[in-house]
Amino acid sequence: MTCPYLEYRRSDGDQEFDHERPYCGVTEEFVSPMKADICNDRFQFDHESDCELYKDHVERLAEEPVADDD
Amino acid sequence: MSYQHYLDQRKLILTVATTGGVHGKDANPNLPEQPDEIARQVRECEKLGAAIVHVHGRDERGENDPERLQAVNDAIREECDDIVIQNTTGGQSPYENRVAGIRTDPPPEMASLDMGPFNRGQHIITEHTRHNIESLAREMKEKGVKPELEVFNNGHLNETYRLIEKDILDPPYYINVILGPGTFTIPTPENLLNMVNNLPEESHFNVLATGPHQLPLTTMGAILGGHVRVGMEDNLYYDRGEPAQSNAQLVERSVEIIERMGRDLATPDEARDILGIE
Ligand code: SF4
Repeated sequence: MTCPYLEYRRSDGDQEFDHERPYCGVTEEFVSPMKADICNDRFQFDHESDCELYKDHVERLAEEPVADDD
Repeated sequence: MSYQHYLDQRKLILTVATTGGVHGKDANPNLPEQPDEIARQVRECEKLGAAIVHVHGRDERGENDPERLQAVNDAIREECDDIVIQNTTGGQSPYENRVAGIRTDPPPEMASLDMGPFNRGQHIITEHTRHNIESLAREMKEKGVKPELEVFNNGHLNETYRLIEKDILDPPYYINVILGPGTFTIPTPENLLNMVNNLPEESHFNVLATGPHQLPLTTMGAILGGHVRVGMEDNLYYDRGEPAQSNAQLVERSVEIIERMGRDLATPDEARDILGIE
């Protein structure tokens, strides 16, 4: 399953391209074609186990205090 | 090959690796990815003296796509005079993707052949089993595709000897000595010398060195009588902090140095003769 943070964009405000390119929603940067394999879980790569960025992000989210409902 | 070959002014084969499978336009927008833009840059490099082009395929979004090798090969044939096409069989992970590089129509005159695995990123080891390497080498032999043997470290040189002993490779062996980070050979002049001293008989070597090591170590390779590969696959910068404007810019600088050192560049046909490509 593709990483939920993977997007395809033409522009990030600084860089603009003719075609959409892989973009990481965690780092808010375009990713290299090599990393895009991981983001797409190709060739038995798995973003959940193979991407440090994903793991760190998920851990940080789990540690964040849950907001009160009041 | 040796310093004597340099003194004897043996012809030097210059390979350009324009694209690769690691970086994208996000790292340097001048890196060509699409068939036509790759072919245009290859043509510029051919005019400057490159005899071989090392080829990777990318899809429209810049990601590795072995199915694009055919389109890149076709565009290069259309745009260029006579440059030798060398497809990758290494950049993509599963075997069916690797072997695509030698199943284009027509097959390329050359293809890369990784001599073993290396690390990619944090968790990945490229799946170059001995079985896969031997299968690729045998299919290349059948089809008359000359392998460029990719030797990423000392251990891969052992593997090269193993294939020679098993009679899977035909001489002259064309060995690409690769220096850089991670599981590549540590990029120092001493290590390059050591690798060259350990090469099998009847071999030619080429030097590939990544990033800031590209210029000094390929120059050293030329002095040691070897051949040279440059281009944006291996190095995105012209100088410290100055992104390369094109592959031609990197090729032009190397050509100037090589010629000033008194070595002549091999034409594509002379490269075919040197490497035994029919
Ligand atoms: S770099 Fe990691 S976190 Fe970002 S999109 Fe790719 S797999 Fe997901």
